Parts: sequence; C-alpha cells; structure tokens
Amino acid sequence: MKNKIVSFYQKLKTRLTADEMFHQTEVQANRLGSLMLLISGIILVIILIMTAFGVFLLPLESVLSPAVQAIVEITVLLIICRIVKNDAWWLKPLLLIGIIIVYARLDSMLTHKVAILMVLPVVFSSRYFSRRLTVFTAILTSVVFLFSAAWGATNGMINVNIVTMPAGTVMVATGGFLGDAIKNAGVTDRMLITNTLLFDYLPKWLMFSVTAVISCNIAERGRQMVVTQHDKDVKSARIESELNLATSIQSAMLPNIFPPFPGRSEFDVYASMDPAKAVGGDFYDFFLVDDDHLCLVMADVSGKGIPAALFMMACKIMLSDNAKVGKSPAQILTDANAAICSSNREDMFVTVWLGILEISTGRLVAANAGHEYPVLKNESGEFEIYKDKHGFVIGGMKGMKYKEYELTLKPGSKLFLYTDGVPEATDADGNMFGTDNMLNVLNKDPGASPAQTLKNVREAVDGFVKDAEQFDDLTMLCLEYRG
Amino acid sequence: MLNIQKTIENETANVALEGRLDTVTAPDLEKTLKEILPGLKSLVFDFEKLDYISSAGLRVLLSAQKAMNAQGGMQVKNVNETVMEIFEVTGFSDILTII
Repeated sequence: MKNKIVSFYQKLKTRLTADEMFHQTEVQANRLGSLMLLISGIILVIILIMTAFGVFLLPLESVLSPAVQAIVEITVLLIICRIVKNDAWWLKPLLLIGIIIVYARLDSMLTHKVAILMVLPVVFSSRYFSRRLTVFTAILTSVVFLFSAAWGATNGMINVNIVTMPAGTVMVATGGFLGDAIKNAGVTDRMLITNTLLFDYLPKWLMFSVTAVISCNIAERGRQMVVTQHDKDVKSARIESELNLATSIQSAMLPNIFPPFPGRSEFDVYASMDPAKAVGGDFYDFFLVDDDHLCLVMADVSGKGIPAALFMMACKIMLSDNAKVGKSPAQILTDANAAICSSNREDMFVTVWLGILEISTGRLVAANAGHEYPVLKNESGEFEIYKDKHGFVIGGMKGMKYKEYELTLKPGSKLFLYTDGVPEATDADGNMFGTDNMLNVLNKDPGASPAQTLKNVREAVDGFVKDAEQFDDLTMLCLEYRG
Repeated sequence: MLNIQKTIENETANVALEGRLDTVTAPDLEKTLKEILPGLKSLVFDFEKLDYISSAGLRVLLSAQKAMNAQGGMQVKNVNETVMEIFEVTGFSDILTII
C-alpha cells in the first residue's frame, strides 16, 4: 500500500513537473496566480466593508460567512506561494483548484451579478502554456460552477428575472429584499434551481465555452513561442561556442610564439592581431623561406567576421605555399591572384604587402597589392611612410601583374606594417586616428623593441578611441633589423 | 548613414552617394545596384558627398565594375581627396574610370 502511494506520488510529480524550458514560465504564471488571488481578496474585503456600511444592498448575514471563508482560503494560498517562492511542482494544480473554488464561492453568493467570474480561471490557466491544463481547468470550472449555481439559486442573491409566476399571484412586501417576497409567494427551491440552471448557468456556460476555446488557442500558441525561443537560444549558444573555437583556430594559425626565432640575433620581429569581431579578416605572417630569407606578410581581407575569416585562411595558405617554393614577391602575388580569382564568386579581395628580407645583406624585396604604405625607419632615424608602388588588390581582377621594388635595411632599421584598422580607428565623434598620429607615436620612442613599439601604438589607439566600439580589425607587425 | 540617390534614363543610371560607404551601409548599395543593373548600358557614380569608403564598399564597386564591363561602362566622378587616396592605395584607381 505504502509502495503504491509512493509510486503514485512519483508519477504525479513527474507528470506535473514542467520541462526545463517551461520552468521559468510556470514560476511567472504562479506569480500571476498569487497576484490574482491577492486582488480578489482585496475586492472581497471592499465588498464586505461596503455591505456593512449599507452601500451594497446585500443581506450581510448570508454574505459574511462565505466571504470570510474565501478570504481565509486566499490568505492560506498566498502564504504557501510566498513560502515556496511561487516555485513548486504542486503549486500549479493547487492554485488553479484554489482559484476555481474561491470564485465559485463568490459566484454562489453574488450569482447573476458576477457572470464574468466563471471565465477567470480558464483565462488564467492559458498563462501556463499548456492546452491540456486549460482543457482540464475548463471542465473542472464547468462542473464546480454548476454546483455553485445550483447552491446559489436558493442561497445566494435571487435573480428575480428568471422567476415565473401564475397570473394573479399576489406578492406581499415584507420589507427588505424582493427575493424574500418571492419565496413567500410560494416559489419553490426546485423551480429556482431549475430556472437558474436553464436561464442563468446555461447561457453563461455557452459564453464560457467560447472563452475556453480562445484560451486553449492562446495556451498552444504560447507553448509554440516558448519552444521556438528555446530552440533559438540553443542554436545561438552553439554558434557562440563554434565562434569561440573559430577564434582560437584562427589565432593559432598565425605565428604567435615570441621570440619566434630564438637562435637568430640578426633581427627581431613582433606582431599582433586583434579582430573587431570573434574572427577577423586581417592577418600577418612571417617565416623563414631558407636560412637567409625571411618572408613577411601583412594582409587585410575586405569585410569582417566569418566570411572574411574563411577567405583569410585560404589567402594565408596560398601566399605561404607560393613563398616557400622560393618565388619572388611579385611572382607570389601574381600567382596567388590567379589562383584566388579562379574560385572567387563573392568578389572578395585581399590587400597584401609581402616582402622577403635577405638576412645577411639587409636587402628587402617587396610587392604591394593595394595595401597600406609601410612605415620605415632607416638612415634618418625617424619612422616615415614609404610610398611604395601599388598594384591592385588580390582576388579582384584576373590577370593582374604585380611589380616589386627593392630597398636595403641598415643595422638598426625598422619596418612597421599595419592594416587600415590602425589609422582608421575611430573615436565616438567619428574622428580617425590617422597616419600622422601613428607616426608621432612611433617617433616618440624610435629605439623601442618591436614588442614595445606595438604596445605603444596600441595604447595610443586605445587612448584615442576611448569608449567607442572597435570597428575594424587591428593588426600590426614590427621588424627590427640588426644586421 | 549612407544616402543613395538614383536617377535612371535611357539605360543610363546616375547614382549619387552621400555619407559613408562601409561594412554597415555597403549592403544597401549592393541591393540598389542589384535592382538597377539589369539592362543598364552606362552607370555613373557621383561621389561628391561621399566622405569615406571601406573595403566592404570597394567590394561593391568591384562587383559593379565587373558587371558593367560586360554590358557597357562605368564611371566615377567628383571623387574627393580622402576617397581618392583610398582608391590609389588599393589600386582601384587603375581599374575604375575616374573622371
């Protein structure tokens, strides 16, 4: 027997416990239920007071007892809601049944005056977003209100409009209510009950059933909306975790261990990339082609985010593959352009500055495909924009040819490469950082190590844009040639 | 932030841009061009009031240039200094007809 009770309890609990995604909804609905009870309780108290002062013409003795009982029930329910903080699996049926009983009691007292009471529980139940629960509430309400109507027909306010009398009946006023006079005129309880059910309850129930259908629909639609929202949340959480993974894959693709060539004292190189979104379209790259040749790349893919990042990965691999077989910078860009153009449906393009440094001599051969001018610190000891020859961006047009140029780095020379995210960093008022500011920062501390140089520029950019959102990827590379 | 004014007459379209052509606004221009490009013989951009163009904007221009290469011609006029510098740095000045 005990086992049966336990298993019944478990079954009931499982059945009534809301799915995880509906849990919040249910707590909110419970809160609404307790609010509804609180308001009803206040209204009851007001009715009682007004009846006591004779504003409402009700027989106080017949109103007092059911009203007080209802107020006690409401108080108990409110205390329970408060104790469990509107959050318990058994609260939903308890509240619904409680609300039906409280309203049925009021209905039996005030009868035809409060026709709207009957629809309240079923409208409220739709807030739980369960059609089954709303149907259950509708059926329970129909039955309970049937009894309350029957009871109220003789004990509540008598609806004189539904009392029929044979012609010639004489009524004698006894002072007080018309209902009392009617009873004295020989109207039977049986007639009152029959007529109430037929002329009061039945039309009320018909209107009620329309409300119940609408409430079912609201509950069903609400349920769909919660499920849809839940699916969307799950999806966006998945996309976010995938994006985080993509960010780490992308940053791992770029050389990011510094110093990168611990054995080489002839040069020092440092680089960084801060994407504006989770993933970016900028990239830098550097690697030794052979013992004496260091290849440096700075590039910026059109657009931002995932499309730019996908394109960037392809470009990075294509450039380094072409460079590692020993081609010249112009040839690397020309071949990469041909390869990218052959499979570029979205008209994406990438601006590239690519240089190959002969470490032993300081000879730098470079080519520029639509990228920002490099900044060079040579004999003058100052960082200056080096206005190099420009070709068209890579991936834009088939058959583009690129030209290369040559310059010689002296010991102490520095090369600063960047993407437009640096000069075009924008503050809240729409002002751009600009190349002049960039040069000023570089020249404030021209002897700084590459790592320190990048830190200085980054700080200056951050100080300039302040709270404005970073709009573009911010990528920099600095090479110091020691010879 | 980007105002697009377009007039079309006898298969010639004049598109005047005002504001910034960047990641946020480039899709608007792309959509406008998609609507007017079919059957067009000549496309003229007026950049008199264009303050700034980003790589996303350049991409839309590149697409338009490629499309117009096949069906007529495209010109860009009244380019200001800032935008011209961007065209020169990116090499777009070589492929666009700037008047």
